Amino acid sequence: MDLNNRLSGNELQKNLSGQPGFGNFNTQHPQKWEDPSIIDYSMRIEPPFRGFNQVKVGQDGLVNELRPTNKIQEWDPSAMLSSFSFLEQKIHQLRDLVHLIVGRRGQVLGRPDELVTQQQQLITADLTSIIVQLISTAGSLLPYVKSTHSAAPPSMGQFGQLGGAVFPSIPGLNGGIQLQNTSGSKVSNQPNQNDVSANCGSEQNHNNEEHDLKEEEDAEEGENLPPGSYEILQPEKEEILAPHTHFCTICGKGFKRDANLRMHMRGHGDEYKTPAALAKPHKESSSEPTLIKRYSCPCTGCKRNKDHKKFQPLKTILCVKNHYKRTHCDKSYTCSRCNTKRFSVVADLKTHEKHCGKDKWLCSCGTTFSRKDKLFGHIALFQGHTPAIASEETKAQVGPFERREGNQVTNKVGSMNFNFSPNASSESGVQNIMNVKGNIDDPTTYFSPLNFDNLGGFNDFPRPPFDDSESSFGFLLPGSCNYNQKSAADDSNNLA
Amino acid sequence: MKRQKRECPESSNPFDVLSEEIIFMVLDLLEQNPLDKKAFSLVCKSFYATESKHRKTLKPLRQQHLPAVLSRYPNITHLDLTMCSRVSDASLSSISNACRFNLRSIDFSQSRLLSCSGLLGLAQNCKNLVEIDLSNGTELKDSAMAAIAEARNLEKLWLARCKSITDMGIGCVAVGCRKLKLLSLKWCLGVGDLGVGLVAVKCKEIRSLDLSYLPITNKCLPSILKLQYLEDLVLEGCFGIDDDSLGVFKHGCKSLKSLDMSSCQNISQSGLSSLISGTEGLQQLTLAYGSPVTTSLANGLKKLSMLQSIKLDGCMITCDGLKTIADWCISLRELSLSKCSGVTDEGLSSVVMKQRGLTKLDITCCRKITDASIACIANLCNSLTSFRMESCTLISREAFVLIGQRCHLLEELDLTDNEIDDEGLKSISRCSKLATLKLGICLNITDEGLMHIGKGCPKLKELDLYRSSGITDLGILEIARGCSDLEMINIAYCKEITDASFLSLSKCSQLRTFESRGCPLITSFGLTAIAVGCKQLTKLDIKKCHNIDDAGMLQLAHFSQNLRQINLSYTSVTDVGLLSLASISCIQNITILHLKGLTPSGLAAALLSCGGLTKMKLQSTFKWLLPQPLLEHLEARGCAFQWRDKVLQVSFSFYS
Repeated sequence: MDLNNRLSGNELQKNLSGQPGFGNFNTQHPQKWEDPSIIDYSMRIEPPFRGFNQVKVGQDGLVNELRPTNKIQEWDPSAMLSSFSFLEQKIHQLRDLVHLIVGRRGQVLGRPDELVTQQQQLITADLTSIIVQLISTAGSLLPYVKSTHSAAPPSMGQFGQLGGAVFPSIPGLNGGIQLQNTSGSKVSNQPNQNDVSANCGSEQNHNNEEHDLKEEEDAEEGENLPPGSYEILQPEKEEILAPHTHFCTICGKGFKRDANLRMHMRGHGDEYKTPAALAKPHKESSSEPTLIKRYSCPCTGCKRNKDHKKFQPLKTILCVKNHYKRTHCDKSYTCSRCNTKRFSVVADLKTHEKHCGKDKWLCSCGTTFSRKDKLFGHIALFQGHTPAIASEETKAQVGPFERREGNQVTNKVGSMNFNFSPNASSESGVQNIMNVKGNIDDPTTYFSPLNFDNLGGFNDFPRPPFDDSESSFGFLLPGSCNYNQKSAADDSNNLA
Repeated sequence: MKRQKRECPESSNPFDVLSEEIIFMVLDLLEQNPLDKKAFSLVCKSFYATESKHRKTLKPLRQQHLPAVLSRYPNITHLDLTMCSRVSDASLSSISNACRFNLRSIDFSQSRLLSCSGLLGLAQNCKNLVEIDLSNGTELKDSAMAAIAEARNLEKLWLARCKSITDMGIGCVAVGCRKLKLLSLKWCLGVGDLGVGLVAVKCKEIRSLDLSYLPITNKCLPSILKLQYLEDLVLEGCFGIDDDSLGVFKHGCKSLKSLDMSSCQNISQSGLSSLISGTEGLQQLTLAYGSPVTTSLANGLKKLSMLQSIKLDGCMITCDGLKTIADWCISLRELSLSKCSGVTDEGLSSVVMKQRGLTKLDITCCRKITDASIACIANLCNSLTSFRMESCTLISREAFVLIGQRCHLLEELDLTDNEIDDEGLKSISRCSKLATLKLGICLNITDEGLMHIGKGCPKLKELDLYRSSGITDLGILEIARGCSDLEMINIAYCKEITDASFLSLSKCSQLRTFESRGCPLITSFGLTAIAVGCKQLTKLDIKKCHNIDDAGMLQLAHFSQNLRQINLSYTSVTDVGLLSLASISCIQNITILHLKGLTPSGLAAALLSCGGLTKMKLQSTFKWLLPQPLLEHLEARGCAFQWRDKVLQVSFSFYS
């Protein structure tokens, strides 16, 4: 049962990740289209399979299909974070799509009805595809959060349920989901699901709070407390860098925030569910006037260190953490979009990723700006700097893409099935890039032996009606084509 | 002058004694007629060489000959390419290689299809380029502006109607061309506050700035008003500029001499007064089609003691407003009240009383004024040189006699659609300096009046007799006799006119524009006379002259080698005539609607042989009869087609 469940889950994930470009290609930003889809692809594939990757190294190349199940439950914050950023990205896409629908409603007048309905179907398909991706990623987070509680990951079952509810009308995917629905629902248990959603929610909150605190830290610069009017605390480096500060006394699981711990404790018995146990502990101490607490950075020589001549204290422990990471740690988080900007605080990365790629206002000095007026302010300020005009080639791409859109519409159903077909090879230039990407952490190898039997069955799927125009679709859906080709090839390798 | 030169080679060439500079000075005096210099260069080899060295400006008709022409004239500083509808990269590179450091000014204002790489080469090779006119370059993108920005010494740049340019392109120009003194961005709809603001920040030398119809707001005004040398500012049709926050500018631009705020509908007197506060040196103010001119608005002009010219065209004007203007302005020279509602005898008289030094007055369509005003103007403004009073319908015949009696300095007089009669014309013929006279739709004038004009106004250059139906051959004969300098004549719909008029007008050798629309008695014979006599003819309109046929076209094609524009609609010209017309190398603009004898193949042949065609107006039926590749070919050569759907008009008598 367990194995079966996982298998179908993998398969679905593959299906979903196989259509990265699909959610994008209708958003009418052709010049942007190519790159993000590739990045989407690598991002999407990477997080769910990182667990497997580790196994493979540990087992000296031996592919063991049971081990990963245990390994996957280990705490892997970076994978989880990238999942979060992926989720965020997808939600943005989703919002764009909904905007598009709203925009289209105004435009449809005067256009052939058939085309309009086709395009609407297409958008609906996009929506479902993105939502499915969202759910799948959210589902993939489940094992991490669940930790040692249950051995069998119930995520796929729940996911199947959700997925089935969301898009019952898509022919290609429907079958697979129904199947999971039957197999998975037996394992799924309602409380777990609640737990997960609660945890996810609080995690999100936490991130927001971190943001606020960061701004606070910046704002606090001007604060002028007389020295001695406050108590200085100086946490140790280890304390600052520790991922968790609150630990469960029963199972030992660590948490960043005590609220999360209290949520967690509810699972250990009814005595932790009382309002008293769930209440915030130190609230009542406001009656006695306590000395204001201020924090110092453990790094000597730092302006935020209490021994510094112009010592500027930090307000909260979170400020200390962020300050220490930003100033004294490696910038280990790299933006997956531009691959150049590096950050040491996740929140900074997230803030950056919100705007990354939107900096279209370029100065001759190479600086990019997200706002035109900022660029012009920059140019007005510096001698010799001049606006950099983008080459006109990017504009030229608009034409052919728009012309192809109609073609896309007619082949909607086909493209839904497209990633199942192992024959879908492409000669487009994108392929090379994709292959490179694929080789870095080739995700398909880890589950290929399991999938191979099924792949044989996939050949029975109706052939896409656009076989003769493969190359053009290879261009439009680089992720999907390549991904499948890759998986098919790897399958055969593994067999041999 | 010409004759003198021709004699020279006979007598052992006295020109050998003269230095080249002196000959150049002589040649400088030949600027008036381009043919004179041509004749000079054809005399002998040394003259040819001298003329080649002397020529500074060049206006080529076809870009194909550019390399040869440029090698003949090595000292070209000004190149006018307005006649070349399409300037290719090859031509541009030959220009930039041939002219190099000599070229100071280049005009592309009618060349619609320019490329960015060609411009880049030009900007990089011709380092001394000071003026570039790129108006009407609707296809020009920001990259072209980036290329222009390489011309570091640029001082004057016209970019009117370059609609595809954005702030980014203008930003490049602002950073690159720091010496810019004149910039025209009229109708550059992609340019906003940021681009204009950057220009004002970077180009401190700017004297003249045209921002008409730009989507700019008050935001860019502070930096513009800080420009130290700004003299001429045009803000026509900037709807984004309004009264709000204009009060902040306590000190306007002190150097400003001319301000145009036409059609700024969101500017009222409060905004205007804050804009012009501190601009004591303002000489010219244009507020056409703006908010009503009332006392309070006029009070804003209080401190503008230098004001010489006010244009209030199309405004609502109160009588008090006019009076206040008259009070505040010390020495007004020019006043334009064209199409103003609310101009009354009282208001106008009060202005004229105070401003006796007026030289230009425009009261077109001020339909409330009567003889009283005219009497006042004639009595007090004796220094008037230009007086426009089209469609002042309440003015009686007698008033025009007064004008002629008093205003002897008149050079321009527009009496279109007025009650003037022969007596008035007789009086006006005293204005011996008259150069432009418009008598369109003056139904009371006859040959007798024209006879006086012909005798009294020898300097007449432009005469408009549009639909003045009392005119016959006799009147035209008198004009042709007396006004030999005539350059433009319009005798459209003067139905009595026959070939005799054409014969007499053929004596006016300077004639450039000839409009004889709807003169049914004209035949090819008359047209031949004009073609032979008026070699300078560039524009000809013979629409609805039914009796003109191929014979006239053949002669026209043979003699009028300078013809650029022709309208042949409703004539009896056929394929043969059109084909012969196509041999005129200058021809650029042809209108042919409802030519019965025209076949698609004949038209196609004519179109193909017209190498310099830029505009062609045709019946839309030909759009489907002509081969599509031919149309595409012509469009690629730079010819724009206008398709008309008009039905054949059987009756031609609207006004008779």
